[in-house]
Amino acid sequence: MARVELKQVKKSYGSVEVIKGIDLDIQHGEFCVFVGPSGCGKSTLLRMISGLEPISDGDVAIDNEVVNDIAAADRGLAMVFQSYALYPHMSVRQNLSFGLENIGTSKAEIAEKIGQVSKMLQIDMLLDRKPKDLSGGQRQRVAIGRAVVREPRVFLFDEPLSNLDAELRVDMRGEITALHRRLGNTMIYVTHDQVEAMTMADKIAVLRLGELEQFGRPLDLYNRPRNIFVAGFIGSPKMNFIKGTVAEGGASITFDTGETMALPQSGFDYQPGQKVTLGIRPNHVSLVEGGSVSMSVKSVEQLGGESYIYGALKDGTLLTVHLSGQISAEIGEVLTIEGDADEVHLFDTESGLSLRHD
Amino acid sequence: MLALQRKLGVNRLAWAFLLPNLILFGLFAFLPVILNVFYAMTGGDNVLLADRPDVGARNFVTLLDCENYLDVNSCREDKFWRAVWNTVRFVILQVGFMVGFALLTAIILNRDIRARGFFRSVFFFPVLLSPVVVALIWKWILQREGVLNAFLDWTGAGGINWLVDAQWAFGWSVFISVWAHMGFYTLILLAGLQAIPRDVYEAALMDRANAWRTFRRITLPLLAPTMLVVLILALIKGVQTFDEVYAFTGGGPGTATTFIIQYIYEEGFAGAPRLFGLAAAASLLVAGVLVVLTLIQLRISRNNVDG
Ligand SMILES: Nc1ncnc2c1ncn2[C@@H]1O[C@H](COP(=O)(O)OP(=O)(O)OP(=O)(O)O)[C@@H](O)[C@H]1O
Ligand SMILES: [Mg+2]
Repeated sequence: MARVELKQVKKSYGSVEVIKGIDLDIQHGEFCVFVGPSGCGKSTLLRMISGLEPISDGDVAIDNEVVNDIAAADRGLAMVFQSYALYPHMSVRQNLSFGLENIGTSKAEIAEKIGQVSKMLQIDMLLDRKPKDLSGGQRQRVAIGRAVVREPRVFLFDEPLSNLDAELRVDMRGEITALHRRLGNTMIYVTHDQVEAMTMADKIAVLRLGELEQFGRPLDLYNRPRNIFVAGFIGSPKMNFIKGTVAEGGASITFDTGETMALPQSGFDYQPGQKVTLGIRPNHVSLVEGGSVSMSVKSVEQLGGESYIYGALKDGTLLTVHLSGQISAEIGEVLTIEGDADEVHLFDTESGLSLRHD
Repeated sequence: MLALQRKLGVNRLAWAFLLPNLILFGLFAFLPVILNVFYAMTGGDNVLLADRPDVGARNFVTLLDCENYLDVNSCREDKFWRAVWNTVRFVILQVGFMVGFALLTAIILNRDIRARGFFRSVFFFPVLLSPVVVALIWKWILQREGVLNAFLDWTGAGGINWLVDAQWAFGWSVFISVWAHMGFYTLILLAGLQAIPRDVYEAALMDRANAWRTFRRITLPLLAPTMLVVLILALIKGVQTFDEVYAFTGGGPGTATTFIIQYIYEEGFAGAPRLFGLAAAASLLVAGVLVVLTLIQLRISRNNVDG
């Protein structure tokens, strides 16, 4: 069993605090993805779990044992680096065997393990090559293989796919998920790509500026984002946000454009007069003759089976509409739209927090 | 410039740029090499080639005539062979110690130690000194009434006449030569160490390699190309050792610290009669050794670029 817990983990470089007290509980066998914009501290957090980076404050526990003072080598983890970090002077076979030799595994056992793992990752015909004679995808497999042969308690991945081209990335994504299903280990995976996060994760931790914004299942994050940041970060294309004020009586919202829309009467806590931001995903907006809000078209993308219309409201707020089928719209044309009231999200504009109550 | 290029053509313009350097190089490097060959094939002590009798390969025969190459006294030109064996011993010790210490220093300076920049300059500083200054500093320390003996007297251990004892003089020559040049090689090795990616070390750490295995299996192999370059450069420099040791011991006591370049200098210019022919022949032999070493070095650095 390998459960990973973080308790008020902090990291400072000099006087700059880059991780500001994060609590996380990753259960055994979970595939957990750390996602967030560049510089938010994903790598730092992962490296603190690995032991490569010392912790400034708080505790990291693996299997209920605090490992703050245990060296990286002895935590029983394996890491796959963004740059692969293969040993350039060693053959693939030596790259795989180095870690096993270090712990005194017998030659026969090493050969057997390398045989299994290299077959599983389809690198068995590359064993005698040097890393420089491999393609990017092959190097990535070797890097993963090097982690797998050691049979670690937890796998750590730091943006392992970001150096691969788009197509290969999709393939490798599938392979890593398959690997997880097969091995059943706890895996922690860092990416800044929310699509990767949504497709691979059991649990997603959304980070921003060194703080944990939300931790949960992908669809929970998608359906019930805790704040504007998560709402905007998870889901593609991005959720639309329109600012406004709750009207007298609380039945509707008056947007900053002066237009109004009915508000859902249950599920949210808000006061008349409160400044709120309405969030609605592009696929929950529809074009309706005589709809309550008007939008002028900026550009149109026709993908055949679906269409995207990018436009601006009267006050300049940008808005995306995602429609299935082929829609023709002229640039500059003014369309009226309507949102699906059952699918809206409401946030307090000032705090950014969701007004949804459960 | 463009007009000139149009007039001369690209190729001839290139020659025009190279010409000044070619003339200087030809005059002061290439021509002397050719002249040297002529001197090596002629005898007597006249400077003008026209006045020198042709002796064919006799100078080389004189130098190389030995009954037993391991017994200097059986050689016709025993001074030459003493210098050769001194140089061989010196180069082996000097290069060995220097590369060893340079590696050690580079590894230490590559760590996150306090005042790293300061120490880096400290080790590089002697490289900036003129060889004569190096020699004088150490002479001042090691002479009979020198600083070291004063210190030893004070501790009660009693002084040694360092530069009069053949073994000590040789040992100190190796030492000051290592001291004076080590910083240069340390710097090259340091650059080599810094070129090893940090994440490779982190991967080794995650792979549970201890410090010794990391050094043996990661650092050394990845540093090997740099080490080879350093080794060959140091060998070439070692064979050429002259000025600092000459100013330090004058080649003595006796011939204890007389190296091959000093031999050439003394045969050709310092003693009477001036045996230009013998000196020229000896320098051609040294040049042969250096050319071989240089070719090896070039081959290695080319392989590095390809690899
Ligand atoms: N050694 C360091 N000294 C000072 N600040 C650092 C150091 N390492 C990282 N930081 C800072 O810590 C913050 C988090 O860095 P980190 O590498 O964890 O970001 P990240 O989320 O992995 O970003 P990316 O997606 O670009 O890899 C950044 O603001 C970075 O500038
Ligand atoms: Mg990162």
